[in-house]
Amino acid sequence: MNNCIDNEIQELLPDLLHQSLDGAIRQRVEAHLATCESCREELDVLRTVKSAAVFAPAINTDSIVRQIPPYRMIVPGVEQPKRSRMVSWLVAAGFALAVIGGGALVVSNQSRPAQSVASSASVTPSQSTEPVTVVPETHALALASAADLSELSDGSLVQLMNEMDDFDALPASEIEPVIAVDSVDSL
Amino acid sequence: MTPSPERRPEETDMELINRWKAGDSRAATRLVGRHSQALARFAASAGEREGIEELVQDTFVRAFASLDSFRGESSLRTWLFTIQRRLMLDRRRAERRSRETVPVQESDQVSEYGALDGLIAEEAQERVRKSLEALSPTQRDVFTLRVQQGLSYKEIAEVVGSTEGAARVHYHNAIRTVKEYLRDE
Repeated sequence: MNNCIDNEIQELLPDLLHQSLDGAIRQRVEAHLATCESCREELDVLRTVKSAAVFAPAINTDSIVRQIPPYRMIVPGVEQPKRSRMVSWLVAAGFALAVIGGGALVVSNQSRPAQSVASSASVTPSQSTEPVTVVPETHALALASAADLSELSDGSLVQLMNEMDDFDALPASEIEPVIAVDSVDSL
Repeated sequence: MTPSPERRPEETDMELINRWKAGDSRAATRLVGRHSQALARFAASAGEREGIEELVQDTFVRAFASLDSFRGESSLRTWLFTIQRRLMLDRRRAERRSRETVPVQESDQVSEYGALDGLIAEEAQERVRKSLEALSPTQRDVFTLRVQQGLSYKEIAEVVGSTEGAARVHYHNAIRTVKEYLRDE
């Protein structure tokens, strides 16, 4: 550990080693070294480390130069400008958002029939006094858009009811009708 | 009378780069000759034991292929160190992966030590090498760039992708470790 408190001089020791200090600073560092044993020891360590680096293998420069391809100037028109790169990122981000949004829409559509059944089945007594027949939302809409039910013949109504029995969205087990119980009657 | 080529003042790296871009292949030879040994020393100090020449070659090939992106804001050597350090990191990652999957053969170990023996001959160098091995990879890079290459903290920060302050801290921790190691040995 260097016990010297002059950190500035310590930091300049590698520069002294590489003879890259200006005259005045160099003289200052050398004057300090004359009186500071810790910094002299540190400089010796640095000298040892530096000299050890000489033992790198010799490099054959000719073989390296042979591998270097000839210069090919980058033509500004060919290089993609930064702005268009930004635009392509924005397009990619928009596409990703569209995919995610579309996926979310599909998932929500798939889960909607189950939700409508659940919401139909959770009718509270205060909302209805009649036995509730659970009808899928999509088919209820279809009925609503049809002509007035009173105009249909008995045969047509029966056929319609039979078709409703075949709806896929209906649960396998029949839902118990919710019967409203008048609190006054129960007393 | 025209001055002889020997008396011509040393061309700067930027001048040589421009000459190479103009089609003078000798400029590439000058640039490689000027910086290749420093790159080899940096690689050896950073712990590379095999394929140093190949590493230096890859560094130059990459550098020359992207010389248009070199603006001369730092020195060419600093830029080359930056490229070589990235290549070394890639190598280390690849070696780590292969060590995880392929068991080390006994013959590999023998050849490794053989190459090392050729690289470092004397006891003093061996001690220095071991002291450098005691450092973290970043400490070792910072320390060798400062001591063996004489780079400033600003240049080192650029090479290792850090700040000057962090480079200083790495250097001081490294010099302390190296001194303790060399004193205890």
